[in-house]
Amino acid sequence: MATQEVPLNETLAHLKTESETLKSKLEEERAKLHDVELHQVAEKVEGLGQFVMKTRRTLKGHGNKVLCMDWCKDKRRIVSSSQDGKVIVWDAFTTNKEHAVTMPCTWVMACAYAPSGCAVACGGLDNKCSVYPLSLDKNENLAAKKKSVAMHTNYLSACSFTNSDMQILTSSGDGTCALWDVESGQLLQSFHGHAADVLCLDLAPSETGNTFVSGGCDKKANVWDMRSGQCIQSFETHESDINSVRYYPSGDAFASGSDDATCRLYDLRADREVAIYSKDSIIFGVSSVDFSLSGRLLFGGYNDYTINVWDVLKGTRVSILFGHENRVSTLRVSPDGTAFCTGSWDHTLRIWA
Amino acid sequence: MKDSIANNSTASISQARKAVEQLKMEACMDRIKVSKAAADLMAYCEAHIREDPLIVPVPASENPFREKKFFCTIL
Repeated sequence: MATQEVPLNETLAHLKTESETLKSKLEEERAKLHDVELHQVAEKVEGLGQFVMKTRRTLKGHGNKVLCMDWCKDKRRIVSSSQDGKVIVWDAFTTNKEHAVTMPCTWVMACAYAPSGCAVACGGLDNKCSVYPLSLDKNENLAAKKKSVAMHTNYLSACSFTNSDMQILTSSGDGTCALWDVESGQLLQSFHGHAADVLCLDLAPSETGNTFVSGGCDKKANVWDMRSGQCIQSFETHESDINSVRYYPSGDAFASGSDDATCRLYDLRADREVAIYSKDSIIFGVSSVDFSLSGRLLFGGYNDYTINVWDVLKGTRVSILFGHENRVSTLRVSPDGTAFCTGSWDHTLRIWA
Repeated sequence: MKDSIANNSTASISQARKAVEQLKMEACMDRIKVSKAAADLMAYCEAHIREDPLIVPVPASENPFREKKFFCTIL
């Protein structure tokens, strides 16, 4: 009997060694192309002027921590979700609440607006992602039309519609991401590869094809092919959980924000990290990141209640914004780039411009 | 008991094999130099910076969040 086990252990050790060797080779290949730093190349770029960005609107109404928000394509509506189980749709111009839904669970960690503007998706500790069609009739009970789409075996951390209202991509505490058909609730593709909870995801801008990036508690950011379910690239340079990932507008790179208090930029064609956005004075984790329209600015929402604005090319901080009275938990730039919205554990959302 | 040990090892082995296959696939990728990647990122910024309302502000009357007038809805 003992002789049967020894070969298995040998194979495992052999595979682990092969794995380590391949990792070193990968690092070597990546290093060969590391001929210069982004901020060096960017020295010749004109510096950015002074920024005057302030809170232009404050959205009050949630009874507890705001956990997630998303913009509607109409550039004025916003959906937000909270620890108290409420999902609210706001008109950001007027600050009026247009719809409110109470979810059957607390900690609604994910919400997303459908591309048509006619529905919202949300989920959290219920391990599901549900879609609510938005009715023009304010008296209609939205909860009655709810459709359960995704089922995970742990909490839902993020969700996003793809190019249409018909498909949703989800990430979960169960370590997987999944693509679902909204109408039938069918699982179309699942994405396995993270070794721990997946906390965030972002779809590539439509021109660049069918890929998305995810970040997790295993400190890895993985890029996936949506059709095959294959992980095509993986980046592991953060020192702690990755809370947020966002594609650069051209689709050639993506930024990440982590509990290690840094944001980083990874270029997909160079296959490596090309910038780190950090300061010795910044010691709290980043919960959420997003780019301005041109990709020149990176906004980061931090656990120390602030928003740091970074010059993506030069690697320097251009501004720090104060206002929230607790952690910033979510941050998104509006579809036309005229403003960005933050949600916080202080129960409010703020629009900055 | 010995069977379950063998099963755990088999599971670890299949995981390790998958990791090796994944790494082999990633190793084959065509990569470009950082200088080229950086130049492309800069070119994109340069091409779009003038349309970026948070960098080159549009007149307050065109940015609904910056203008001072308040909207009222007719009930």
